[in-house]
Amino acid sequence: MEGNAILGPVAALALWTMVMWFWMYATRIPAMQRAKIDAVNLVGTTGKSLDEMLPPNVQWKAHNYNHLMEQPTLFYAVALALAVGGMGDGLNAQLAWAYVGLRIVHSLIQVTSNRVLWRFAVFILASVPLLALCIHAFMAFVLH
Amino acid sequence: MPESLLAPGAVLALWTLIMLFWMAATRFSAMAKAGVDINTAPPGGRGVDLEGALPPATNWKSHNYTHLLEQPTLFYAVIVFLHLSGGSTDLTRGLAWAYVVLRIVHSLWQATVNRIPLRFGIFLLSTLCLFALSALAVIATLG
Repeated sequence: MEGNAILGPVAALALWTMVMWFWMYATRIPAMQRAKIDAVNLVGTTGKSLDEMLPPNVQWKAHNYNHLMEQPTLFYAVALALAVGGMGDGLNAQLAWAYVGLRIVHSLIQVTSNRVLWRFAVFILASVPLLALCIHAFMAFVLH
Repeated sequence: MPESLLAPGAVLALWTLIMLFWMAATRFSAMAKAGVDINTAPPGGRGVDLEGALPPATNWKSHNYTHLLEQPTLFYAVIVFLHLSGGSTDLTRGLAWAYVVLRIVHSLWQATVNRIPLRFGIFLLSTLCLFALSALAVIATLG
């Protein structure tokens, strides 16, 4: 199919999100055991309540996993729209790879040093190619 | 009116990023006023930590940006389903544009006045459009 190179970065970010999911549980479950949290008898809590109970750097994985379910959902929608419209090759695919690469860097910062300034800078940098993709979709579907 | 059912989706995606930049612009000036310095922020700090630290009207932009990444993600999925399954009709295009216009009004209200009854009323109306689109998507994809 023409115009669907952009689906590569889409698949890459989806897979990265699942990697973060595993990373989150691989660190969360041992930390819950260390904190003597009786998960078997928990009723109705959400992951958020663990912010009070587990070390911050364990929760940072969860914060990033949640973050990947926020702005990237916009990326998936716009990338799919461009692919369906046959405009997912060339520059748009490169912009999408830039977005995905920066989001992976953002994840790595948030789960390690988590310096707010660096994390914020990478987030804003990642938002630039996403903005470009949104403008391209707007020009293609609204102004055409 | 543009012919593609994806057009209203493109508008809402762009609007979401406009809200992101509006949020950032107001948040930074409020952080400066409140003496919050991003350079010395403790590791791991997040936007939610600014609740209570910044004026409510500043955080309202952020609440709306977050809100735009909740229900509208369902809207994007549904219009792509409709687009791919031959469900792009005058009715679905009209409903999709209504959804997007209502969401933009919802954003403007939440970011400025933010009285709950009207915000809820707009949200309810936009949800009815999405509900109808979802039902039509079920019909289009099963049909």
